Amino acid sequence: MAALDKTKKPMPVAFYPLLALTLIAIGLSIYRLAVGLGPTTNMSDYSPWGIWITVDLFLIPVAGAAFTLSLISYFFGREHYHKAVRPAVLAGFLGYVIVGVLLFLDVGRWPQFYNIFVPGFINVHSFLEEISLCVALYTIILLIEVAPIFLEKWNIKTPIRWIKRSIYVIAGAGIVLSALHQSSLGSMFLIMSHRLHPLWWTPALPVLFFLQAGYAGLGTTAIVITLIWKAKKMPVDRVLLRRIGQAMAINLLLYLAVKAGDWLGAGEIPLLLRPDAFGWLAWFEIFIGIFVPLAILLSKLISHSAGPFWAGVFALIGVFINRLVITWIGLALPSPHPYTPHWIEIMITIGMIAGGFLVYGMVVRHFRLFPDRQEAYPTN
Amino acid sequence: MSPISRRDFLKVAGLALGSAFIPDVALAAGEDSSNQIGMLYDATKCVGCNACTNACRQWNHTEVEKDPSGLYDAPTDLSADTWTLIKLYEGEEEHSFVKRQCMHCLDPACVSGCPVHALQKTSEGPVTYDPDRCIGCRYCMYTCPFHVPRFSWDDVVPVIAKCTLCNDRLADGNGPACAERCPTGALVWGRRDDLLAEAESRLENNSDRYVNHIYGKDDVGGTSVLYLSHVPFEKVGLDDLGTEPIPQLSEDAGDVIIPSILVGGPLLLAAIRSISKRDGWEESWPL
Repeated sequence: MAALDKTKKPMPVAFYPLLALTLIAIGLSIYRLAVGLGPTTNMSDYSPWGIWITVDLFLIPVAGAAFTLSLISYFFGREHYHKAVRPAVLAGFLGYVIVGVLLFLDVGRWPQFYNIFVPGFINVHSFLEEISLCVALYTIILLIEVAPIFLEKWNIKTPIRWIKRSIYVIAGAGIVLSALHQSSLGSMFLIMSHRLHPLWWTPALPVLFFLQAGYAGLGTTAIVITLIWKAKKMPVDRVLLRRIGQAMAINLLLYLAVKAGDWLGAGEIPLLLRPDAFGWLAWFEIFIGIFVPLAILLSKLISHSAGPFWAGVFALIGVFINRLVITWIGLALPSPHPYTPHWIEIMITIGMIAGGFLVYGMVVRHFRLFPDRQEAYPTN
Repeated sequence: MSPISRRDFLKVAGLALGSAFIPDVALAAGEDSSNQIGMLYDATKCVGCNACTNACRQWNHTEVEKDPSGLYDAPTDLSADTWTLIKLYEGEEEHSFVKRQCMHCLDPACVSGCPVHALQKTSEGPVTYDPDRCIGCRYCMYTCPFHVPRFSWDDVVPVIAKCTLCNDRLADGNGPACAERCPTGALVWGRRDDLLAEAESRLENNSDRYVNHIYGKDDVGGTSVLYLSHVPFEKVGLDDLGTEPIPQLSEDAGDVIIPSILVGGPLLLAAIRSISKRDGWEESWPL
């Protein structure tokens, strides 16, 4: 990369370990494709989905950062959020790329994965089909949205003008596609009421997943911009962080209301009070993922420079526990071989995420993620 | 062999005939499904000889799963190689065998969930699988309420494997291999409504012998494989799953949510954009 030589700054210490992890994951991925899922994963007929699906279902709401920030700044027209759009959209794009790679490795019959896009094969009743189409299209939309970061650096102006001119259509399509697949990830489990643990199964799953995408995306944005400002020793914009925190709090409160309403309405409170693993997990998820962030965001801590950051961290932990139960623990059947991930599954997951951090770090280092108001683009 | 479900048919028919005729159409559709081929398993007649498992292996060329001594074919559960088997239930006072295989639901969850129509419910009854379409996502393994579809994990490019109701024998007028082999008459095959009538008469004439329920008549909206038993069905692994087809809620939700977001989303975005105050937005492009 030519950009690397120009800066002449020493590489950050994290660069080489991240690169190593990424390369190991790429090697193991090729091995997995060559020998199949049997030798490389611990999935079985009793746990046909493993950690890759859990991570996918966690990364998609995390990558909802692009969705929520686009909505707030392009459509609600809140100028103050604008500077967070680029970091959020880039995080979203890389998140979806990781999800795409993991899904490709996950599907057993990968040599014909493209069947999912063959019009004659498409099952309109399948939420999984709808999610696949939305995720693929949305990744393309995100690619268009991040393109100006690179195009402006390389001084290619014409496509930037096209993107700028049609940004409402592009961002609007992205928001509609996000609303579809973020909720459909929850709808995907509507057909499993016989299998998913009742504390997590509810007809409101699409609503809950949609709200989670809202606060997880905002939380991710708070985390990402706080880290970038710290790393680049830029001044922390507490007003922006507070506003992101407020929007997060609204989503968290709505989520809590729907979740509590479902538990009460379905008479599942006794399950919550039962001292088994699921009762504890449900409490833990709500406490860490909802109560702690709300305690930060509804108190004076929201104005502290690290307040929204920590609210985001705890909210994401909550979403992770939620997705862990919904894709794995809460679906498990009594099995002769209970699932725990194979080391290859773990190394591929870690390595692909490391690759995401690596690329993000390189972009932060060599491209402009916070365009100044006037000089962002030439007007003509 | 069309992948069109009963409810789709109803929707189309309903549009064509007008809502007043929908009850009649529903009856017609119900009769249609009862003409399908099915099987009736009577647990009180089964001696657990596993001839059915063997017949299945011979017809479908599946590998034996030997016990540690290597003397017996002794599968312990359904698998990519074992599409049917007899399980033993032993209670304190009663015991029973139970045959497991695909139930061939009338409105199958696996068919509803499969993104690429690799699984299809044929008009003759069987739920079939097409490996040329399947991408190996394994969603069917979760949507199936009976935990039937299995995966050939050790293959480099694996397949979903399950009972096909011997779809490739039905065309020649033959029955499923397992049902034709059964030596005690515990497993018979035929038109689903004939089997239902047979099951009803067994219940009527020997009411003290059976639990008063034909599993699969209405369970999960009906299945092509029907069960009679002398022990409660949940004890032999056939849970009470209600009479609503498993995909019902999911498909109804999809019919509402997806068009609403596709149509309402852009309208809502346009509305938000037009009423929002624009903080000098036009000058500062955030991209």
